[in-house]
Amino acid sequence: MEAILTGARPNRVELALFSLAGTVIFFGLWQILAMSGLVSKFVLPSPAEVILAGLRMTVEPFAGDTMQGHVLASLTRWGMGFGLAAGIGVPLGLAMGYWRVLDAIVSPMFEGYRYIAPLAWVPFAALWFGTGVGGPVMVIFTGAFAPCVINAYRGAQSVERHLTEAAWTLGAGGVRVMMEVLLPGALPSVVSGLRVGAGLGWQSLIGAELIVVSSGIGYVLVQGQSNLAPEIVISAMLAVGFTGLLIDVALRFAESRIRMRWGQTT
Amino acid sequence: MLGWYLATDLAGLIDRQRFPSPSDVVAAGSQILVRGYAGGTLLIQALYSLRLVVLGFVVAAVTGGPLGLMMGLSRRFEAFINPAFLLVRPIPPLAWIPLAIVWLGLADSAKVLVIWFAAFVPAVINSYTGIRNVDQTLVAAARVHGASSWRIFWDVLIPGAMPMIFTGLRLSLQASWTTLVAAELVGAVFGLGKVLSTAYRDIYPAMIAVGMITVAVLGALTTKVLAIVERRTIRWRQY
Amino acid sequence: MSDIVFDRISKLFPRGGSQFAALADVSLKIPDKQFLAIVGPSGCGKTTLLRMAAGLESPSSGSVQVGGRPVNGPGADRAVVFQQFALFPWKTVRENIAFGLKCKGVPRAKRDQVALDYLELMGMVGTQDNYPHQLSGGMQQRVAIARSYAIEPEVLLMDEPFGSLDAQTRTLMQEELIRISRVNPRTVLFITHGVEEAIYLADRVVVLTGSPGRIREIIDVKSIRESEGWDRLVSEDALEMPEFSHLRARIWRLLRQEMQAAPRSTDGKFN
Repeated sequence: MEAILTGARPNRVELALFSLAGTVIFFGLWQILAMSGLVSKFVLPSPAEVILAGLRMTVEPFAGDTMQGHVLASLTRWGMGFGLAAGIGVPLGLAMGYWRVLDAIVSPMFEGYRYIAPLAWVPFAALWFGTGVGGPVMVIFTGAFAPCVINAYRGAQSVERHLTEAAWTLGAGGVRVMMEVLLPGALPSVVSGLRVGAGLGWQSLIGAELIVVSSGIGYVLVQGQSNLAPEIVISAMLAVGFTGLLIDVALRFAESRIRMRWGQTT
Repeated sequence: MLGWYLATDLAGLIDRQRFPSPSDVVAAGSQILVRGYAGGTLLIQALYSLRLVVLGFVVAAVTGGPLGLMMGLSRRFEAFINPAFLLVRPIPPLAWIPLAIVWLGLADSAKVLVIWFAAFVPAVINSYTGIRNVDQTLVAAARVHGASSWRIFWDVLIPGAMPMIFTGLRLSLQASWTTLVAAELVGAVFGLGKVLSTAYRDIYPAMIAVGMITVAVLGALTTKVLAIVERRTIRWRQY
Repeated sequence: MSDIVFDRISKLFPRGGSQFAALADVSLKIPDKQFLAIVGPSGCGKTTLLRMAAGLESPSSGSVQVGGRPVNGPGADRAVVFQQFALFPWKTVRENIAFGLKCKGVPRAKRDQVALDYLELMGMVGTQDNYPHQLSGGMQQRVAIARSYAIEPEVLLMDEPFGSLDAQTRTLMQEELIRISRVNPRTVLFITHGVEEAIYLADRVVVLTGSPGRIREIIDVKSIRESEGWDRLVSEDALEMPEFSHLRARIWRLLRQEMQAAPRSTDGKFN
């Protein structure tokens, strides 16, 4: 209660100690619980077992490939889906911000589409594009698309009117305005949208891989589950979380670099 | 919408095996409403799914909200919890599904667990942010008036954090629905997800559409309910 | 030939439930290469008039023609200098000035050179790689003016360009503008609140009334300036000239009458 109520702030060392305590207690309890035999080994493996399983998978293939191989397969799918979502979504959002007619046409469709959970598309995606690459890519696309479009759209709208007017009076046509005025003006918003889209895309990927594929981290999760090998499942979960975290951190970094370079315009 | 109708029903442009036309969807809709599909009528399936969502959501709100508040209030507590939270947080909720199945089998409780996790994280984060962002001058003003810590908590911090708490709840609700659909797609015996997965296996695209639409509608409805609760609770805010 | 012709312009804006008349039956001819200033109280429609010439707004009735052609939309023949500068924050000074030329397809080497030439003209050598936020207000406005001049427009439309500058900078900018327009004369429509600024800069001054905007009077400043011989003075010397004071007083009286008689607009406030 101290910090907010009294305004006093505990010093860093103290905080670090608390974090350390938290970590130790968390893993300690986990380890003890697993070792105690209270819970079956098939349910809760110890932290040590999880780490071992993870390491083993980097060397020995499991469910068709090593851990890195699976992660790579997942990342590739994610990259494609996200790339598509960004490549189509950002220009679309910018264009919608610029041409009111386009906005009027696309918006209603978009609002309807937006509320459907990306994973609900899995059946369709699999039906249309198969389960190898196309299906998951489409699901990722659906997850990542909305934030890309919406943020590009809002970003374009936030660009001050007289900047576009100035561009017009200097002879710029529609495409040039979009590229040289709207895009840079909307960039902070666009990058933020890309980051959110990337995260959502990654999550959708995992979901899709649980259902419809035969390689990738999600597949590892399913196989681990059907083999009743929770240590594999948990280590795969951690791998998923970690990769997602990496993606997010990388994009946050890119975002802050861009903000710095353009001197925080708005 | 019109384009959809034209392309499928009339022109037969698109293979109806793969993409349903509006009349197909209507037909499927009436089928499931009346005669049922994959084990029950639409109403029963929908209510079943709704129950799971509400359960997971409420538990998450009740566990996550206070946790976030406590983390926001005490930096020591935050430091303590952080490692565990940071480890667990980046894991997509859906990735919990296999583990939940290992732990609890294909029963409902597995789904509720996953929904709980999906809704938990936004609830924690947003109530944390909410209470952290309360204007410090308000707290100072209260203290100057001699308010006790408890009173400050109830009368200043909580109301101040409410908007963000509700934002978190809204996100939690969305996450709950998304996760439900996914969880039920993976392994369900009943409910809307089961409708979807059975329809997929039967290659019955119109029914898939019906399922998706129902989910969307239910999602919108529950969000509306939440909004009403929000409006009643935060009467001091101008909208 | 690039004259501006406003023919019986009216402009209505919807406001609240009704229409608000910004301009009513304004007709004005600005001959080729004339520097015309419009002064008037806030909200009398002067900016609207300028925007119509720019093609950013269209009249509710009446027509606008530039160089004999009707105005259909914005274009590089009518450059605008905005009060808020409207420099692209993500482009360097050089890129900003060169923008219009880029739109025209001028190759990079050439347009960079033009930009540098203008910077030299403005006394801002060395700033070409700066970003707008690194410059002072006066320098930013200079870049904005250079940007408009760089495309050699037939017409220059300036909307209170010095309005957001401090008094000293404003005076210097006025003198600079005169210097540039002597080097490079073109048709100019200049909107301002400042009576002295208008008299100092313009060939003719138009006094526009309150809402709805109508032309109250047109004063030929140039002939007075030339006959009295103060058209080559710096501003503080020009201010001392008796004819200058007379003109200023005359215009002020007109404005004051307008402000006192100003009808309330639909929201009950004075404009």
